Amino acid sequence: MHIASGFLSPPVWGTMAAVSGAALAGSLVVARRHLDERRVPLMGVMGAFVFAAQMVNFPILPGTSGHLGGGFLLGILLGAPLGIISMACILAVQSLVYQDGGLEALGANIFVMGVVPCLLGAGVRRLWLRPQPGAIAYGLSLAGGILAVVGGATVVILLLGWSESLPRKVSLIQAIGVMDSIHLAIGIVEGVVSVAVVRFVLAARREAVVGVGDRVSGEETAA
Amino acid sequence: MTAYNRWTLIVGVAVALVIGGVVSYFASSAPDGLEKFQEDQGAATPAYPTVETLPIAFQEYNFNGLGEGFWANAVAGVVGSLIVLAILLLVGYALRRRRPPVPRGGSVGS
Repeated sequence: MHIASGFLSPPVWGTMAAVSGAALAGSLVVARRHLDERRVPLMGVMGAFVFAAQMVNFPILPGTSGHLGGGFLLGILLGAPLGIISMACILAVQSLVYQDGGLEALGANIFVMGVVPCLLGAGVRRLWLRPQPGAIAYGLSLAGGILAVVGGATVVILLLGWSESLPRKVSLIQAIGVMDSIHLAIGIVEGVVSVAVVRFVLAARREAVVGVGDRVSGEETAA
Repeated sequence: MTAYNRWTLIVGVAVALVIGGVVSYFASSAPDGLEKFQEDQGAATPAYPTVETLPIAFQEYNFNGLGEGFWANAVAGVVGSLIVLAILLLVGYALRRRRPPVPRGGSVGS
């Protein structure tokens, strides 16, 4: 879903650079205040995992592929600030080293694949920190993964439309319809993979997932 | 670094490297959802000046000099994952609290 170079107008990419820059700065300030060093290895490992996973394009329809976004997963496991920092790093490396995603579109790409999905993931994070995450955690995470990808795809179309980079023969609504229907399938994969990876990491390294600010019922009195 | 953190790193990085270095070679080469949309709608030509980041070491996800085969992809996946790991560890350890605060109410003590 990386927006390539040359498709966003200067006012649009400038605005998105400012928005994502502010989100990243805010994330760094929060991390500076709260980051427990036991969580740093998990942040590094999950960042490497998401970079690698984004290289694995899977077929969606004949002639179309999709790949994991990963921001939703990082939002659940790391919370929004560390997730946004990690996604910004991944997307910057992809753009600078691998020509994947336009350099001037980096702010837009961080917003679409970092800020939005990380906030959604952070929204369901608390459900996973319960002693026994149940059907609500699974269901809302699947829905959240779909919403993260379809919502991101919608934002991409809005930014392309605002930049007048959409074809004149289709309306904005039609474009969103086409784009969202492709990304609905990708979103289902995103949701399922996110749930599976969160389950695995919680089983293996729960202590690295729980942060300083997290209130976990049943554990708080043990401290 | 504790043994606990070391194992998190070793196992996690190994998984990432296998996915980035090996599994990704078998990925679909079809355009992704956005590229497909732009091609189908005849909107795949940039309307604004493009900013090119130079393919100094990698041509997209292939290591320069190794063509487009398994090893070119493997080097790209392994190196990219390690770059992200290194940056996040540096940033994370630079930002971390050196001394955990006194546990208050809901925080989990060490």
